[in-house]
Amino acid sequence: MSIQALLTQFGDKYVQALFTTWKLTATSFALAFVLGIVITVMRVSPVRPLRLLAEFYIQIFRNIPGASLLILLVYALPYLDMIFSYYTCVLMACTLIPAAFCSEYLLAGMNTIAPGQIEAARSLGLTFLQIIWRVVLPQALRSSVLPLTSLLVSTMLTTALASQVPLNPQDLTGLVSYINTHAVGGVTAFFISAALYCATAVVIGQIGSWIDRKVRILR
Amino acid sequence: MSEARKEILKNESGNTEIPVIELRNVNKYFGQSHVLKDISLKIRKGEVVVVIGPSGSGKSTLCRTINRLETIESGEILIDGVPVPMEGKALAALRSQIGMVFQSFNLFAHKNVLDNVILGPVDVLHRHRKQAKEEALQLLARVGVADKAAKVPAQLSGGQQQRVAIARALAMHPKAILFDEPTSALDPEMIGEVLEVMTSLAKDGMTMVVVTHEMNFARRVADRVLFLDGGSIIEENTPEAFFTHPQTQRAQDFLNSIKEH
Ligand SMILES: Nc1ncnc2c1ncn2[C@@H]1O[C@H](COP(=O)(O)OP(=O)(O)O)[C@@H](O)[C@H]1O
Ligand SMILES: [Mg+2]
Repeated sequence: MSIQALLTQFGDKYVQALFTTWKLTATSFALAFVLGIVITVMRVSPVRPLRLLAEFYIQIFRNIPGASLLILLVYALPYLDMIFSYYTCVLMACTLIPAAFCSEYLLAGMNTIAPGQIEAARSLGLTFLQIIWRVVLPQALRSSVLPLTSLLVSTMLTTALASQVPLNPQDLTGLVSYINTHAVGGVTAFFISAALYCATAVVIGQIGSWIDRKVRILR
Repeated sequence: MSEARKEILKNESGNTEIPVIELRNVNKYFGQSHVLKDISLKIRKGEVVVVIGPSGSGKSTLCRTINRLETIESGEILIDGVPVPMEGKALAALRSQIGMVFQSFNLFAHKNVLDNVILGPVDVLHRHRKQAKEEALQLLARVGVADKAAKVPAQLSGGQQQRVAIARALAMHPKAILFDEPTSALDPEMIGEVLEVMTSLAKDGMTMVVVTHEMNFARRVADRVLFLDGGSIIEENTPEAFFTHPQTQRAQDFLNSIKEH
């Protein structure tokens, strides 16, 4: 089929799928970001069990393939009497893995902070959490805008896992399988989805570099 | 010494006086190496104590143990007669009472000058932001960098950064300020402006512990000089007596070595 024919027949579905992909991406990235911050704070905390727990998390979720994790969430959790919707399972997979990477980037960002600044904060009487919140995290975040931008893009690509489970409406990748079972979309159907992923990634990249220029710390 | 400071010292010189800072038989190890050896020391209100000694003698460690940036293995440290707490909120509260100025300034790189100064007052002392800002601007004027309030540290010279760091310490209304080689990282032409600010603090009666190699500053401003070597206080004297008649060979050698440069 030509692009034109595909868009006439499945245009609405592409729009819906694009929104599903965006929604999954935005939601899971937001959750991964918050979780990543929590894990990072645990990793640098003075409480050893918290540090160990956080390192354990990183080792697991940095090293597990997304598809395996999704299968575990869909098929293994019910054995623990935890049954989530397919959408929630996809969301969890797309949150748990990027959170580990988010933490890695934030930790790298923290390592750019001169230790003297932490000592200055301690000598002012700030507590651990105040130091994290006021001195460490703001600088770590501002120096990891570019890696976090890449992480947002890769989170979007991870949401293609949604094509492995029945969803309605489907995401961009799921829609391609749908089209190819209902019509002969062929490679063109893939092409449209790929173009939409790429366009989104380019916009994300532009916004990311703009933010990076705005917030970069003069040293 | 100024009249004001003489008054303060006179008023405080009764036997019942509680020192602002007191160390009792403090020992500090880094692994096997014994870095502070049985240090006992009292610093009275309004006193300026200069600590000198060769590199590696334990001067920085001495400063850092006072507000527990370094832990100690034995002995006691008291601030206003109260033992320094081991950890947590109590330790943080105590630290807020002792200012610290570092060799490398250590301003917060992501905050402008004004925000550097008000962080402590607002977050630790829970002062109103507006009030804290007004006072911070006065302090910045006092150290001569009021026009830099909106700049970030990287836009300032070393001397300006160090003066901001002093304003940041002053904003906490500390009982004492510890200076660890405050001018050692500065280009020569900026040393004077920082020493000038420190001299004026001393005149106003601030209690100060100053690690420095600036002998002229020590002579003019210090009430007492401590000479540290190998982790022990080898000599303790008035600046005049110390610089003209050092009692030990080690102090003599050290003074000769810094005069040569
Ligand atoms: N964090 C540390 N770990 C191990 N040894 C240290 C540490 N800090 C300082 N030391 C050692 O302690 C001694 C005293 O150091 P320091 O107090 O910095 O001396 P100074 O300030 O007089 O030059 C030196 O021998 C130094 O190598
Ligand atoms: Mg030192």
